[in-house]
Amino acid sequence: MPKKHSEKKAKTMAVLHPRPHETKRKVAPTFPLISPYIFLFVVVWAWAAFWYGDVFRIAREFSFWSSNGTLMSYEDGRPWELLWRIGLFLLQFFRWPALGALLLSFFVTASTYLFSYCLRLRSWWRLLQFVPAILFLASIAYVGFDLYYETETGMIMGIPFLCFLILLVAGVMIRSFSRKGMPPLLKADKGESRRQNHVQLALALVPVLIAMAITQWMRPYVRVVTRMQRYMMEQNWKDMAETGRDNGNLSYRPLAAYYAIALVQRGEIGTRLFDIRMDYDTPYMHGYNGTGNDIANYYLPECDFYAGLVETSIHHSMENMTMNGPNLRALKLLAKCALLTGEWEVAEKYFTVLHTVPFEGKWLRKYESMLRDTAAINRDPEFHMVRLTEPVHDIFENNLVQPVFLGYNAALLEGRSINALWNSLAVHIYTKSMPQFIYRCQPMKGTAPPESFAEALALMSSKQPELKQMYSGLDFQRSRLSRFASEIKPYMKDKQKYAKELYPKYKGYYPYYYFFGNLKATKKKEDNATSKSGVN
Amino acid sequence: MKRICLLLVCALALASCGKKRYALPSASVDYAEEAQTYPDYNNVVVPPNIAPLNFILKEAEASEAVVEYRGSKGGQLITGAGEDLKVKIDTTEWRSLLEKNRGADLQVTVYAHLPSGWRKYKSHVISVAEEEIDPYLSYRLIEPGYELYRQLGLYQRNLTNWTVTTIYENNRVYSDEHNHCINCHNYQNNSTERMLFHVRANHGGTVIVEGTKIKKVQIKGDSILAAGVYPSWHPKSNKVAFSTNDTGQTFHIHSPEKIEVLDDKSDLLLYDVDKNEVRTILGDTMKLETFPCWSPDGNWLYYCEADEPVDESFPDSLLSQKMVRHYQDLLYDIKRLPYDQRTGKFGEAETVVDCRSRHRSASFPKLSPDGRYVLFAEGDYGQFHIWHKSSDLFVKDLRTDSVYPLTAANSPDVDSYHTWSSNSRWIVFSTRRMDGNYTRLFVAYFDRKGQAHKAFCLPQEDPEQNIMLLRSYNVPELTRDAVRVTPSELRQCIYETEGEPAKYISQYESNH
Repeated sequence: MPKKHSEKKAKTMAVLHPRPHETKRKVAPTFPLISPYIFLFVVVWAWAAFWYGDVFRIAREFSFWSSNGTLMSYEDGRPWELLWRIGLFLLQFFRWPALGALLLSFFVTASTYLFSYCLRLRSWWRLLQFVPAILFLASIAYVGFDLYYETETGMIMGIPFLCFLILLVAGVMIRSFSRKGMPPLLKADKGESRRQNHVQLALALVPVLIAMAITQWMRPYVRVVTRMQRYMMEQNWKDMAETGRDNGNLSYRPLAAYYAIALVQRGEIGTRLFDIRMDYDTPYMHGYNGTGNDIANYYLPECDFYAGLVETSIHHSMENMTMNGPNLRALKLLAKCALLTGEWEVAEKYFTVLHTVPFEGKWLRKYESMLRDTAAINRDPEFHMVRLTEPVHDIFENNLVQPVFLGYNAALLEGRSINALWNSLAVHIYTKSMPQFIYRCQPMKGTAPPESFAEALALMSSKQPELKQMYSGLDFQRSRLSRFASEIKPYMKDKQKYAKELYPKYKGYYPYYYFFGNLKATKKKEDNATSKSGVN
Repeated sequence: MKRICLLLVCALALASCGKKRYALPSASVDYAEEAQTYPDYNNVVVPPNIAPLNFILKEAEASEAVVEYRGSKGGQLITGAGEDLKVKIDTTEWRSLLEKNRGADLQVTVYAHLPSGWRKYKSHVISVAEEEIDPYLSYRLIEPGYELYRQLGLYQRNLTNWTVTTIYENNRVYSDEHNHCINCHNYQNNSTERMLFHVRANHGGTVIVEGTKIKKVQIKGDSILAAGVYPSWHPKSNKVAFSTNDTGQTFHIHSPEKIEVLDDKSDLLLYDVDKNEVRTILGDTMKLETFPCWSPDGNWLYYCEADEPVDESFPDSLLSQKMVRHYQDLLYDIKRLPYDQRTGKFGEAETVVDCRSRHRSASFPKLSPDGRYVLFAEGDYGQFHIWHKSSDLFVKDLRTDSVYPLTAANSPDVDSYHTWSSNSRWIVFSTRRMDGNYTRLFVAYFDRKGQAHKAFCLPQEDPEQNIMLLRSYNVPELTRDAVRVTPSELRQCIYETEGEPAKYISQYESNH
């Protein structure tokens, strides 16, 4: 009996005072602990593949790796030669940014893990493991164009590879002499509290967030320009132009140059050129001599090419290779130029060279099929547009103001097509050389000129009223111009100050550009009216 | 000892395993045409000491190739190629075959393995000359033309094998402090006992090597247009004739020629190496004199001369623009000045090749070491024929006074800068015939009748090298021996010495 009684009492007590582990508590659903390394891998991959993917893709185009020793001889004898060769090879995987990003993310994540292991970081100290990743990603974002422009592109993947290798060797050595096991890579550490895990995950986001912040606030033009370059490679002129317009407030020369290329290809140079702001801030860019004073080299070869100046594009591409060694961008452009000039043997040479570069099969299939086939070249839409603006006569570059693609169009007296005339007119209204513009407009007499030209003619008709009779549609322009003139009166005292403020309201409108656009160049021109230096 | 022998035998066995032995196909179908190869070595005359003529068979469908070389004086060599169709010849076997067939022919039969079976191409001939070529060829490697330079160097190839040694390379890594260009290397009498080359920009000067002694000098001054440029070492004394050129270049925007290099002014100088003195030989302000070259006896100085175009619409201050405007009117003749080696005085100039009357223009006269021929490049206009597609090699036979093109050696593209071997039987020249852009070196046999034979491309161990190399070869110079100083010794002199300025001797001083 006493036993039964005690059992009953125990049951009653258990109901009244349940033990903690027997309690059916109602708790909020919790997520399992996530390995910070997996998380870091995913976010770095996403950053390198999608956010910064175009930058890496263009960096690859500015680089060169070949399976042929003769072609790689330009790296011979350079300091860290082997490392840069490895880095250049790894960079080739950014042909598809998602693929290259896997490698980059692997190096960053593995280095983070090994860094933590080698330094025996425990508990809260483990937060320090993200410092190398933060520094690396932040530097990539900070250097902007310097990541690949006139620099050793082997560093981009070479440095993370080297860090990984050093830490791997150190890790293996430590593991060999230590009994203690390595922390889990794919799962969260057992000893880690949920709070610690959350902090780790948050910190794994920090390298990417910092890199994004630097890009967004300090180098906003880098992603835009590289995206436009990618569209140019894909010959997606529509998106290329739209990207330029969407970011029209960022006023940098490379952006304006690629925007103009897209417009030329779309036949919109006479209508949409002034949709972007053109006052040209200086991007963070240093080049091989550290001064960055030759920013034009960034876009010159392509601008020459799409302006129809094939020989000049060869000139600048060759110089690019002379100064920076072989690179995909120059080699592809040289191959295309050789097709256009009908220099089949040298085109074949460049194709043979490009066959030794990984992942170029698609590009080669397209252009190799045009070898010795002038009809196919002329049918190609891209080449067709270039042909339309090829020079009619030979002259010397040195007789033209620089850069040549502007100087040539400024001096143009005879062209192959209406596109050549439009390019020339666009250059004249861009450089505000109005007498030459009016003179060159004559072939369009009796017609309604494209919008920007009509706006420029309307503007000039205040001084030369006879222009109104010569071109149709200028009357409509006159009324808009009168409105504009009265609206801007208060701002004319300090154009520099109000230019940016007025841009959203008048973007795309030529008279706004005439009075408020490209003021630095205009001022320079006025200060040095007799100077023979560049157009702009 | 037994073990060592065994190891050696094993090593030899392994080595022989690595080398594929080719055999002639037992059955093949005859093909009426000769095999197309890159480079083209069909029916050429080669020196008996040349490295193997490795080539690529241009037959897209072939999966394998076998080549038989059969000497008319005996000897047979069978080699071949795998899927890459790169035919590489064993150097030892090749040398022995050539030695055996000196002055005779090699019959070359190429077989290609096609999906349908073996094809036997029509045989072609490689003739082996009696005379050897000077074994060393130095040249500069640089990206083709244009304004900028970065990494470049002077190299020396041993023509009997594949060895390439660096004579001197500028800085590999860009440096505002150290960037410099090197050009115009030159030797006295095909010997490296005396050589020179110029350094421009940082560390500039003319580097002169005598034996193993290196010095840098500054051949420039107020009385000279610019530093010495194109050199020619007097064959018997320690004097060098230089041109001094005020040169510029300009770029076509729509022409296959691409570049024009023009002299606004040019004169001739004589530099005395022992005394470190320089004086003007020719300095006519209305004439452009350039490309000096001594005759082998040292009694004549050959050079090119053109009249400055007359156009009064250009004032003196716009001389460069005038030259650019009239670039096609610049026509150079070849002239020569007698030189008295005893007094050091020059006589009156006489015309050797009158190109102007034919509306043509000559450049780079080079006298054959036997003194009989003047080899030069002739084009439609100007003097920098390296960029003129009309440029071909011509010779003037000084004995018969006849001028003629070296038709068999020339090509439709640029054929320009050239050098003689010391026995006057071989010429090496640069040409853009392979792709129109990158200059490559070609070798041609120059027979005793004064005719050049079909030229062949400088052989390379990997025949694809000529495609893969993104640089041009220029200024080839043949020598009998190897350069005697090292790149580091040259670097030390270039970087660490300023270079003693040459003393300018005026016309008056030189006459008295």
